[in-house]
Amino acid sequence: MRRLHRTVGVTAAAFVIFMVVSGLAINHSNGLGLDRRHVSQPFLLDWYGLDGPETFQSYAAGDDWLSFAGSQLFLNDKPVATVSNGTGAVFNGEMLIAAGSDELLLLDPQGQLIERLPWGPAGAEKIDSLGLSDNGGVVVASGGQSWFADQDVLSWERSNEAGLSPLWATPASAPENLQQAIARQYRGSGPSLERFLLDLHSGRIFGPIGILIYDLLALAIAFLALSGLILWARGRRNGKQR
Amino acid sequence: MIVSFCLPVPAGAATVYETQAEFLARAFSDSPPEPNLLWLSGERKSAVRQILGHDYPALRLRYWCQADRSAWVLEEIGKELPITVGIIIDKSYIRNLRVLTYRENRGGEVATPAFTDQFNEAALKQSGKLDTGIDGISGATLSVQALTRLATMALMLNAESNCSSGA
Repeated sequence: MRRLHRTVGVTAAAFVIFMVVSGLAINHSNGLGLDRRHVSQPFLLDWYGLDGPETFQSYAAGDDWLSFAGSQLFLNDKPVATVSNGTGAVFNGEMLIAAGSDELLLLDPQGQLIERLPWGPAGAEKIDSLGLSDNGGVVVASGGQSWFADQDVLSWERSNEAGLSPLWATPASAPENLQQAIARQYRGSGPSLERFLLDLHSGRIFGPIGILIYDLLALAIAFLALSGLILWARGRRNGKQR
Repeated sequence: MIVSFCLPVPAGAATVYETQAEFLARAFSDSPPEPNLLWLSGERKSAVRQILGHDYPALRLRYWCQADRSAWVLEEIGKELPITVGIIIDKSYIRNLRVLTYRENRGGEVATPAFTDQFNEAALKQSGKLDTGIDGISGATLSVQALTRLATMALMLNAESNCSSGA
């Protein structure tokens, strides 16, 4: 029993120390700022399967570029907001406007969010594309119909008049170096250190086999506690007999 | 420490309890008014920063106003992701606060009426704080604080809006 206890103890020692240290860090992750810092090492990003964005579309907006990289919206190479299923982006001389399938984002020329508008005039379907009317007003194509916003983008009016011919936003190819910069940024915002530690602490980072190994090591620690108690009790009894 | 072996894997799915359209229909008996705009600039921006501890992530807000009632849809990050909250204010008292969308992995208990009903009838004290104590929820402290900040912010903005004068 003593030899087995020693062998298991030595094997589990490093694991116990690791669990204590990582557990303490997780318990204080907020104070340590681990939830605000992100993993950026390429091999860890590879391990998490964080490749470049699956979808990438850029739109020329004045002198700038608005790009949808996955669900991240970039103004040139600066991430400015999240938006799902980007459908278009325009600049009307005052504001940058970006559309997802079910929301619109209004930004100032520096990329600061003015307002995020859920898309939902009565009877409207999802946003298909975004454009500008002759007078610079925002126009949305949705379910085969055109919706025209007022100047403040507060209300919408549906119109199918033949004379109105909005200029619809069309994707364009951004400069190669800009595309690369965006891909780097996109990939760089990996999991938080807190998440990484949680995955390490639970064994999930190694997949199902990791969880199994951690289970075995947890059982080994339980065994150490039990065998330690038994050895202690035996030693005490032998001491009394002497 | 061993207990933490069972830590759940984050799910990351948003729960929509009520859409903005449903919230507004409920707030204004199915006929919501046209929205108004409130720009967050100057002293108002500073006041919001003081309440939230950071700038609100938008430069302007829309709100809906009818008689003495106003409705606000605001967002604040609990731990990592924004919580969308709808707040109905009558005169200067919160009539109802509802979590519209909850995106965090933990702390979703703040969306239950058992928690949000605590905000009913809350108003602002002279000091700018809520006049009602809000009981926390174990494990959802950051979400509770986020909702409390938004309730305070909505009451402060309501006092500055056209609605406070019965427009």
